[in-house]
Amino acid sequence: MTMLEVEGLNVSYGDIQVIRGVDLTADAGQLTAIFGPNGHGKSTLLKSICGLVPATSGIVRVDGEEVQGRPTDQLVARGIVLVAEDRHLFPEMTVMENLRLGAFSRAARSSEDANLKLVFDMFPKLADLRRREAATLSGGEARMLAIGRGLMSSPRLLAVDEPSFGLVPKMRHVVFDCLRQLADNGLTVLVVEQSTGRISELADQVYLIEDGAVVFGGDTAAALQNEEFKRVYLGQGPGGVE
Amino acid sequence: MNWRSLGDVLISGVTIGSVYYIIALGFTLVYGVGRVLNLAYGSFFVWGAYVCWALTAGFARLPVIVGGLIAVPLLFMLGVAVDRGVVNPLRKRPEFDFSVLLATLGLAMVLDNLALAIFGPRPKALPKFGEWRLELGGFVLSAQALIIIVFAGAFAVALALFLQRTRTGMSIRAVAQDPTGARIVGIRLNRVYALTFGLSVALAAAGGILLAQRFFITPLGGWSILVKALIIAVAGGMGSLKGTLVAAFALGMLEAFVGWQAGLLWVMPFWFGVLLAILLIRPHGLFGAAGRRV
Repeated sequence: MTMLEVEGLNVSYGDIQVIRGVDLTADAGQLTAIFGPNGHGKSTLLKSICGLVPATSGIVRVDGEEVQGRPTDQLVARGIVLVAEDRHLFPEMTVMENLRLGAFSRAARSSEDANLKLVFDMFPKLADLRRREAATLSGGEARMLAIGRGLMSSPRLLAVDEPSFGLVPKMRHVVFDCLRQLADNGLTVLVVEQSTGRISELADQVYLIEDGAVVFGGDTAAALQNEEFKRVYLGQGPGGVE
Repeated sequence: MNWRSLGDVLISGVTIGSVYYIIALGFTLVYGVGRVLNLAYGSFFVWGAYVCWALTAGFARLPVIVGGLIAVPLLFMLGVAVDRGVVNPLRKRPEFDFSVLLATLGLAMVLDNLALAIFGPRPKALPKFGEWRLELGGFVLSAQALIIIVFAGAFAVALALFLQRTRTGMSIRAVAQDPTGARIVGIRLNRVYALTFGLSVALAAAGGILLAQRFFITPLGGWSILVKALIIAVAGGMGSLKGTLVAAFALGMLEAFVGWQAGLLWVMPFWFGVLLAILLIRPHGLFGAAGRRV
């Protein structure tokens, strides 16, 4: 079932158009991965879907209802939750306080304790670190906390921006496996990544974005057959990455 | 040196220091959370005292503590209205840091002249909290001093508990530490800004009422308080609650000492000397971790 539909989305910063007519859908319970080179608008796309950056035009539907232009707090209340690449944790609060604030929205409060258990089951390390200030966490721990805080908001769509950035390979696998597990449990997961690697094996659907526009969209098997995708991402041809 | 006088000076220092603490808290809070350097802060301080005066000696003849407990929430509401009407519209524009400086300066002119027009230029005296006094081993603690310390302490503790323990208080700290992070978890920044501005004005007003126990209320009486709040906030490291606590009591104590030894004329030069010294020696303040926030 389609949970998120984006139609003809355009986003500009001043005179510079960053997102050009993006169409995209994400199905409930699926892991949808968006790939693209650095600086080609992937983060902006996620921020725009989550209401942090206004779109100039276009439609964003959640469960069939148009939500573009709504403020972030209303989107969070509907379960549209961003895990930002630069994390935006609260540095001088403890891990526990950061998680509790994840459940700030009224909609998330009733399931705060259940969500906390879920987060600690998924990342037992966070339970050990609960009294530590967020500023003192390592990159991997901070990433886990950012995802954990997102889960505390009772998300229905979790938009995760570059979860593997700055992580050692082992930690990347932990994070990716947990995103896959969340999707298997029914969450709609939207992941932005620069490099394909393991995430392309785990994703159900793949989008390729270049210069703010979708150049390929389809299921993962089709992506692996696609010439453009192979050229850019699997290193077969000029311009290969990773 | 006279030991009895020294005891009086210590009591006086603690009394002033406790009021300076809540005044500086309000000033530093709104800067730490909303990046507002509020030049009208002293005018809100004066207005708190005037509203309390109007409710007590001036017109309504209420007991002074009741007047104070009504005036502070009224000023809180005024603060919320000012944020919604004056400060927040500027946030959407470029150069907020600077435009808010000019806007609050203009607001200060308006508030001061309104006070002048309504209450006149003659100093007003707030009724005393009480005329009794405690004598402990030769030291005298007046009712005013005691009640000032108790109220300032209660405000400070209540604010700390509010910021640490309540969901709304945590959302204020969240905005201070990472506004984008706060938006991501669904906090409405505009609400937090308005609430913080209201709290800040309420603290200024409470300070104005408490200090009006010792000083007359005049339309321009807020400017020296603005300067002191700014100096305490800078000394403590803008936005740091712990630094503000230490700086407020240290400077309150020193002010009492300077007033005693050198005379009241030297009090303001002393404050400016402190500011100069801080900017030269520790520009990030006593607790100088740059960027440390609420």
